[in-house]
Amino acid sequence: MSARYEAVGWNRSKIVYDAVLIGVILAYYYLFVAIGAATAPIGTPPDGPSLAMQASGSCAFLLLASVLAIGPLVRLDPRLLPFLYNRRHFGVITCAVAAGHAQQVLNWYFAFSPTPSLQAMLFTDTGFDHWPGLPFIPFGIAAFAILVALAATSHDFWLRFLTPPVWKALHMLIYLAFGLVVAHVAFGALQSRSQPLLAVLVTAVSIGLCALHLAAGRKAVLADRVTAQPADTTPWVVATTIDAIGENRGLVVNLPDAEAVAIFRHNGHLSAVSNLCAHQNGPLGEGRVVDGCITCPWHGFQYQLADGCAPAPFTERLATYRLRLDGCNVLLDPVPNPPGTYVAPTALPT
Amino acid sequence: MLIQAVTAYASFGALVSALFLLFGIDRIDPAARGAYAFRPLLVPGLVLLWPLVMWRWLALTFWPAR
Repeated sequence: MSARYEAVGWNRSKIVYDAVLIGVILAYYYLFVAIGAATAPIGTPPDGPSLAMQASGSCAFLLLASVLAIGPLVRLDPRLLPFLYNRRHFGVITCAVAAGHAQQVLNWYFAFSPTPSLQAMLFTDTGFDHWPGLPFIPFGIAAFAILVALAATSHDFWLRFLTPPVWKALHMLIYLAFGLVVAHVAFGALQSRSQPLLAVLVTAVSIGLCALHLAAGRKAVLADRVTAQPADTTPWVVATTIDAIGENRGLVVNLPDAEAVAIFRHNGHLSAVSNLCAHQNGPLGEGRVVDGCITCPWHGFQYQLADGCAPAPFTERLATYRLRLDGCNVLLDPVPNPPGTYVAPTALPT
Repeated sequence: MLIQAVTAYASFGALVSALFLLFGIDRIDPAARGAYAFRPLLVPGLVLLWPLVMWRWLALTFWPAR
């Protein structure tokens, strides 16, 4: 998050990311159309507009699936983190491709009647009482509306304005959008029973996405986390042992009925902050201490160890926690301090 | 009917968007002060979500702690 908002925080990696993505999309589109035209049945002229619609539609579907795959893939292999840093660009480009698909449909199927094309699209496909022939356009419109809402609220301003929990909840609608797109394809192109490859693609991608999320969820459950145990004195709980925390590393400690806490070890001292990054609720405890600051593994947001404040001029703040040592045990006061409260780091025995 | 309703919703959203970007955003978000290039990017979201925008705008104006 910038101290002052910018339209787009361009840097070299973002430019390269977007350029490669747009290049891949254009290559896919033109290859799809070219191969489709070359493999058209002999004696049948290639149906250019339909091929173009299939190219943009399938491209939007694959992009949407890719966006959804980035999160679990990064959990399974942190080397893929660069894809996560620029995921919002990926999402906005996906929305643009979907908009291109919608425009092609409007300009072909609904452009040759006296009824305005948008009105014709909204009202010609509404009967849910016959099979085959179930309407599929409403699913596509609903999915597109969600993608537009997500793209329109992708700037950092919205994150701060709506608050991270609301923003995150809004952007979880991308899963609903994916389901609607699957319904759009299933009730549309697949109902014709003439496109076995598309059926295989949609099924394989859907199953693959589910498997990826399950695998990432399993890894998160088995991740290096500990659960705090009661201590002899209140309000303290036994969070962990000193040796369990590596230098410049964090450890996530689950608290009963409260948010998890991240304890970091740096230069012979321990500090504890909320495990949730103020940016997008990223798991801070899975990050590292870089340049003396806690660094979120998702987008690189940084916080000072002692007070949980982002370095000036940034203004994000985390709740901090009190720590003390009892032999080799690390005790934690589970009551969070207000965000930004200074807590002197706990010195480790030398 | 539906088209007219959508048009009316979007028109009111455009009005809210203009008022918010001209008079509201600077007061509720310090990071927006002196920053203008990003504001056009907010217009689609403001038009789409204007009821939510108005609610947050009022909340942040009268109860900034929220």
